[in-house]
Amino acid sequence: MSAEPSNANRTQYRLGFWLLLAPIVLWLGLLIILPHIDMVLVSLRERIASRQYEFSFSNYTAFFTEPLYWNTFVRTAVMSILATVLTLIIAFPVSFYIAKVLTGRPKIALFILCLIPFWVSELVRTYGWMILLRETGLISGALQWLGLVDQPVEMLYNDVAIMVGLIYTSMLFMVVPLVTTLDSLDNSLIEAGYDLGGSSWHVMRSIVIPHAMPGIMSGCIVVFMLTLGNYLTPTLLGGKDSLWFTEQIYTQFITRFNWEQGAAFGILLLILSSLIVWLGLKITRQSFTRVMS
Amino acid sequence: MQEDLACTLLSKHFGEFAAVDEVSFSIPRGAFFSILGPSGCGKTTLLRMLAGFQQPDSGDILIKGSSVLHTPPNKRPVNMVFQHLALFPTMSVAQNIAYGLKRKGVPKREHATLIDDVLAKVQLPGYGDKRIDQLSGGQKQRVAIARCLVLNPAVLLLDEPLGALDLKLREQMKIELKRLQREFKTTFVYITHDQSEALVMSDHVAVMNKGRFEQVGTPQELYYQPKTAFVASFVGDSNQYAGTVKEQSGQLITIVTEHGVRLLSHGGQPMPLGSPVTLFIRPEVMQISTSRPEAEQDNCLQVTILRMLFDGARSQLQVETSEGAVLTVALPQTADYQALEPGRSVYVSWQASQCLCFPVATETQPEAVQ
Repeated sequence: MSAEPSNANRTQYRLGFWLLLAPIVLWLGLLIILPHIDMVLVSLRERIASRQYEFSFSNYTAFFTEPLYWNTFVRTAVMSILATVLTLIIAFPVSFYIAKVLTGRPKIALFILCLIPFWVSELVRTYGWMILLRETGLISGALQWLGLVDQPVEMLYNDVAIMVGLIYTSMLFMVVPLVTTLDSLDNSLIEAGYDLGGSSWHVMRSIVIPHAMPGIMSGCIVVFMLTLGNYLTPTLLGGKDSLWFTEQIYTQFITRFNWEQGAAFGILLLILSSLIVWLGLKITRQSFTRVMS
Repeated sequence: MQEDLACTLLSKHFGEFAAVDEVSFSIPRGAFFSILGPSGCGKTTLLRMLAGFQQPDSGDILIKGSSVLHTPPNKRPVNMVFQHLALFPTMSVAQNIAYGLKRKGVPKREHATLIDDVLAKVQLPGYGDKRIDQLSGGQKQRVAIARCLVLNPAVLLLDEPLGALDLKLREQMKIELKRLQREFKTTFVYITHDQSEALVMSDHVAVMNKGRFEQVGTPQELYYQPKTAFVASFVGDSNQYAGTVKEQSGQLITIVTEHGVRLLSHGGQPMPLGSPVTLFIRPEVMQISTSRPEAEQDNCLQVTILRMLFDGARSQLQVETSEGAVLTVALPQTADYQALEPGRSVYVSWQASQCLCFPVATETQPEAVQ
């Protein structure tokens, strides 16, 4: 008697489980896994005549033999790592201040201030930097007015401008995980650190940073991936010579209509980001599940 | 006697509220000193000022004779065991202990010996490599104490560290703390709201209320000779009886209750006739008898048993007097009292010298023990 309803319950439970799981399975399958499988297949073929394709590694060999592709790839990786590190260096004190120094309303206010730039689109935000940095822009004008320079200064279209834009765009994604982990640090641990004779530097190094490590890593992973895959900011602030790898992919797909080459680049970028994230986790001895929880 | 810690007229205000109000005391070397008070009495603020986490508004703190007012917490020769212990979860037991040694500049080759020594003293030999989350509540406690004592502080501050433990373990840790204090000969300043912790462990106890010390003395003095109504009601259990002064001859005071019952009490201070007073009678000083005692008693009341509160050796009897006051009387677990049952009429009697009376304070007092 009692076995039947429990069986029915179990069937119901299973049905509910699969129904809840369905959207995410569909989403992952249709938008992530399927396109990637197709991309791998497309990247591994070569057009030999109109509508005639053949299996080949030529798209990949093209990448390794053409220095422009190669250089852009390495440059994108290095710039992204640098942007991530700089974002961390700027965001850490800000997050510490929000999480540990402020309380009540000012804390919430400052946190919201970090969020406000994200209410406008990335395009408008980047355009804001262009207004400031361009030759006829605010900073150039101010410098001339002050008499520090005697002709307009162009501050756009260089690596520093790209870096500034990338850090600005990434800030929130570093601050949020950092504030969350720092908030969870018991104040008495910091006090105990001082009480046992530690200076601010020691307390930071041996208590606060080890505690915040999962937050630091999750912030870094998100910022790094966003930066590596960013298209708008490097293009607008860096101009023609920004040499960002996503631009290469765009060019192959849209301008040159070479989907095979573009797909190969896409796969290479995926491998690169996975590799660097894996390395980062290995070096800091953090596990991916812990960082993301 | 040389003093390890002394405070003079120490005050701390938060806005209008005086958390600590002109507190002065001194603690002799190697003493176990407790500060006992209800929550919100300012004891935590006082301890945090001693540790250096809060600056007093006025007054001075002297450690081994020199002022530490301008010494930051990491330079003060005091260490603190935090309420929730604050062990560093990212470090092992040995690393937790080594943290302070490193900051103190003890050469690295001496660390292992010092850590092994202190772990042996807190009875956790060989626990150095354990992670903090592998330890039980009592073991964490010992590590937190070891982490401080390895640094040989002039004074060890303890902020209610036993609060999170269950009753059995708390009883064990009380004895253990006392033993450690003897062994290390360090001055302990222990704050707690639990009177039993303070009475069992301390050489001296300060009872704190509303930012002030009500009384400082040995546990026995506080229990048997409380100087204020607050101390009488806060330390130990007491029955409270309201009345007015009828007569005073020397230290013997005659009190009349609302319903005209005459009671005799010891009174430490002169009190004007007719003034309202509160009588404090401890449950264990009252004698229970089934018939009216033959010998003349200072105080004797006929009462009705309301209920029995069985708690082994600490069993109590709740009785109601003819005027409706409820008293709690200790019930000895001997054969004489086995036959008592609710509803029965008995006599309770006590000596005038064993109860105390204080003028009714205008301020609010802690809840009367019923």
